[in-house]
Amino acid sequence: MLRFGHISICIFISIVLCGVVFGAERFPPPDFDESGHELPSTDYITNITPRHTIYNYLDVAVLVAALSLSSWFVLKKRSRRSVFILMVFSLVYFGFWRKGCICPIGAIQNFSLSIFDHNYALSVTAILFLILPLIFTLFFGRTFCAGVCPLGAIQDLVVLRPIKVPSWLESSLRLFAYIYLAAAILFAATGSAFIICRYDLFISFFRLSGHLNMLILGCCFLVIGMFVARPYCRFICPYGVILRQLSRLSKWKVTITPDDCIKCKLCEDSCPFGAITKPTVEWPQIGYTKSRKLLALLILLLPVLIFLGGFGGSSLNRSWSRMHATVRLAERIYLENQGLLSETTDASSAFRATGEPIEDLYDQASVIRKQFKFGGWLLGSFIGLVAGLKLIIPSIRRQRTDFQADSASCLACGRCFKYCPKEQVRLKSLSEKQEIADDDKI
Amino acid sequence: MTTKYDNQNSDKSMKASWYEAAKGGAVVAGVFSVIILGLLVLNYLQKELLDPVRAERLENLKVTLIEQPKNEQLINTIRELDLQLRKDKIRRLQFSQKGGLLLLGAVGVFLIGIKSAKAFKAKLPHPTAVTDQQARQIRQAILARWVTVASLAVLVLAVLFFINTPPIDFAGAVSSYLSDEEIAKNWASFRGPQGSGISAYTNIPTKWDGKSGESIIWKTAVPLPGHNSPVVWGDRVFLTGANKQKRQVYCFDAISGKLLWQADMINPASAADKTLDMYEDTGYAASTVATDGRRVCAIFPTGDVGCFDFEGKKLWSRNLGTPDSMYGYASSLAMYQNLLLIQYDQATADDNKSKMIALDTFSGATVWETKRPVPGSWTSPIVIKIGGQSQLITCAEPWVIAYNPSNGVELWRVECLGTDVAPSPIYAGGLIFGIHSYNSLVAIKPTGQGDVTKTHIAWKAADNIPDICSPVSNGKLIFLLESYGKLTCYNVSDGTKLWEEDLKTSFTSSPSLVGDRLYLLSEKGIMSIAKVGSEYTEVAKSSLGEKCYASPAFSDGRIYIRGVENLYCIGDKN
Repeated sequence: MLRFGHISICIFISIVLCGVVFGAERFPPPDFDESGHELPSTDYITNITPRHTIYNYLDVAVLVAALSLSSWFVLKKRSRRSVFILMVFSLVYFGFWRKGCICPIGAIQNFSLSIFDHNYALSVTAILFLILPLIFTLFFGRTFCAGVCPLGAIQDLVVLRPIKVPSWLESSLRLFAYIYLAAAILFAATGSAFIICRYDLFISFFRLSGHLNMLILGCCFLVIGMFVARPYCRFICPYGVILRQLSRLSKWKVTITPDDCIKCKLCEDSCPFGAITKPTVEWPQIGYTKSRKLLALLILLLPVLIFLGGFGGSSLNRSWSRMHATVRLAERIYLENQGLLSETTDASSAFRATGEPIEDLYDQASVIRKQFKFGGWLLGSFIGLVAGLKLIIPSIRRQRTDFQADSASCLACGRCFKYCPKEQVRLKSLSEKQEIADDDKI
Repeated sequence: MTTKYDNQNSDKSMKASWYEAAKGGAVVAGVFSVIILGLLVLNYLQKELLDPVRAERLENLKVTLIEQPKNEQLINTIRELDLQLRKDKIRRLQFSQKGGLLLLGAVGVFLIGIKSAKAFKAKLPHPTAVTDQQARQIRQAILARWVTVASLAVLVLAVLFFINTPPIDFAGAVSSYLSDEEIAKNWASFRGPQGSGISAYTNIPTKWDGKSGESIIWKTAVPLPGHNSPVVWGDRVFLTGANKQKRQVYCFDAISGKLLWQADMINPASAADKTLDMYEDTGYAASTVATDGRRVCAIFPTGDVGCFDFEGKKLWSRNLGTPDSMYGYASSLAMYQNLLLIQYDQATADDNKSKMIALDTFSGATVWETKRPVPGSWTSPIVIKIGGQSQLITCAEPWVIAYNPSNGVELWRVECLGTDVAPSPIYAGGLIFGIHSYNSLVAIKPTGQGDVTKTHIAWKAADNIPDICSPVSNGKLIFLLESYGKLTCYNVSDGTKLWEEDLKTSFTSSPSLVGDRLYLLSEKGIMSIAKVGSEYTEVAKSSLGEKCYASPAFSDGRIYIRGVENLYCIGDKN
């Protein structure tokens, strides 16, 4: 019998290979001078008018509407189907229609750059796209991830046979998201790069065009996403890091059951994201003192990790700084001048053609390196802090009595609702009333 | 009337039907996707494998076209191939775009099908009992810590890896251009450092004989003719040669004289123009090359200019447009930091065509261009340093003009020259010396701004003024050599004529100074060596046995002379 899993693997491997679709190159214009060939005017490029402002506000309005609906569907209506439909709409609108830009994830960078570069004007749209999902999360949990984020939506659609990632592994893998967030802020703040946008895994799909490598990487993530649900959201998304923390504080949280938990365990494997926490049993008394000592040791280790992280981060300032075009150019010019490279690049040629003093370029590069040295301290310290907390948290013994949606990890997709008998009762009671009404009519 | 049981059976049957339909749809969409994918991959392989071969063939044909510009059959072949390539590319592009969209749609249908099928055959949950929950909790905590530690270890390794990347320290990179000492030690452009004609070494031989081979370390034939002078950097000697069809740059091994490489200067713009007829005395390769120790740059009367690395690899070349020069373009190149300085004087002053051009030696990009209010000239620019500031000195009718070599901004100018200027300027004793051919030697104080004609001419002299040879000076005395052999000595400080000597032979090569000895190379290839002093005192005379028009180059213990056919290295054979 032909298995769907096999088919799906074949299809998605084929998608990976079909990256060549967008790999075709343009070709140079004819070089027969006497042919009278006239190059097409490039006016259409320079004359492109920016998108009308009203559409930016429309995007914001759609975002607010989508967030509101998502929150209502998840918390009030408790309807997975509605969330799914909204998710498809968001994928089409924010993904394929708006080409994935602007998105709240990337807006982190705009915001960071605007803080450190006073010449950078941050648009109202960017601010709203960054803040609105945060506000909604603060009140309703991660309903943005559930039905509004196009990156989450495209991954959610391909979830076929999710496997369970052990919680200890999930927690460690999530460290990457913190590193990514810190690096994105550092590179944006120094004006080096918007790495979240540059390495957007799914933008190639939304735009039906893009760098071949990123297209292949995106395909790989979708293939992985068939078995490990929403890998980007869980282990990489830098915005998700912020949403996680805010979601812990949210006023209204997603609940598996509409009533009291009866601990039937029916829902325990229903979440493809491993966001359901189980009731704990009493911790053993044996080794209790040892565990306390270990906890104390790890707490003492925390400042050491912060310092070492900061030191390591700042030591990498030269490597980090190569993300900045000015530093790359300065290094290229340096190597060319030293005779270590014989060929020039477009950038180095263009710089040389300006006649600007090379010493000025070197000075600028040195200043940027210093910024990275300081930024490296902050970044490294942050990573050290997160890693330290990840060591400490497993040592904290907490008691849980019910099956609960973990407020931080829960993506509010609503998949778990139908597994709860109490939810079935709630829905059934409605259908019973309908049946009675129907019988009366007959 | 139907019962509830009947309804349930009916639902099950309908679900099974929908399941089959969804499954079938998914299979069909999957197969369809695979077929599209296969076609796309085939399309891609064609693009990757077939197109480059044909594109290479097209490029080869274009190179052949440079050599055979009138070959109509070749032109038609190129056109047909070019058109075919373009058609194929457009076709493949459209195919891949449409195929991509189709594939996306098919995959979408597949996903809908497979998800629907899954929904119609949903499995009920089967909770499992965990036997030892306590041990599981402890195990998970331990694993979580260890995995975090492992992640940290990976991070540490990554940090160590990147820290080990070679550092580039910009603080020490400020003086990455050639130092004055490096320039002084070598003979990097026409007439050596600052175009002065002065050797940095005094251990230069005074006696040799081309016929017997005495003190001739090596002698190597130069493939194509040219009047340009040798340039020496370390163990490399550079020349150019050209005829109506070809323009070449040569690199010789200074130790053995072996021709290490020769490189063609080919530009499509000039290659097609085979109509350039040069004045015989100028030839097709009069301009001397310039080097910065890492690359050598050359220019030809066709307007072709380019740079090669020391292994002969062309770094860049471009065509500046054939200069409109009465006797043919002959100005030599100069260098300043990363700039190749080209005095591109041509036509008449009213034509407004003359200009000073600075190209980036790394890329060939134009860094600056400054228009010059002068007609064609045959002098070479020099770069000198006065009070820590560099000046680019140029001569052409009627101006001696100084520029800032970094940006081409004019510093000062003096109106003192006449028509057909050929001798190049020199800087000696704090003065710039410009020569108005046959008319006057002008000493200029190189300061001020704007037109300083009335205030900055220190003195003028009018006797025995040369028309071709550039002067040479030790800072106290300046020597002029007329092309028909009259050598004249003036006092640098006040322009007093001290003595003159008729050498009774013709000269094209400019005089040189080695310590307290003057080296005067006649067109017949005879080097007269005279002591610098209050009168002409010949101390040696050596013959090369071959006609010479170029100026000699000097290095440690050696002199390099270009004859009309051969390049000579003269020195102590031992």
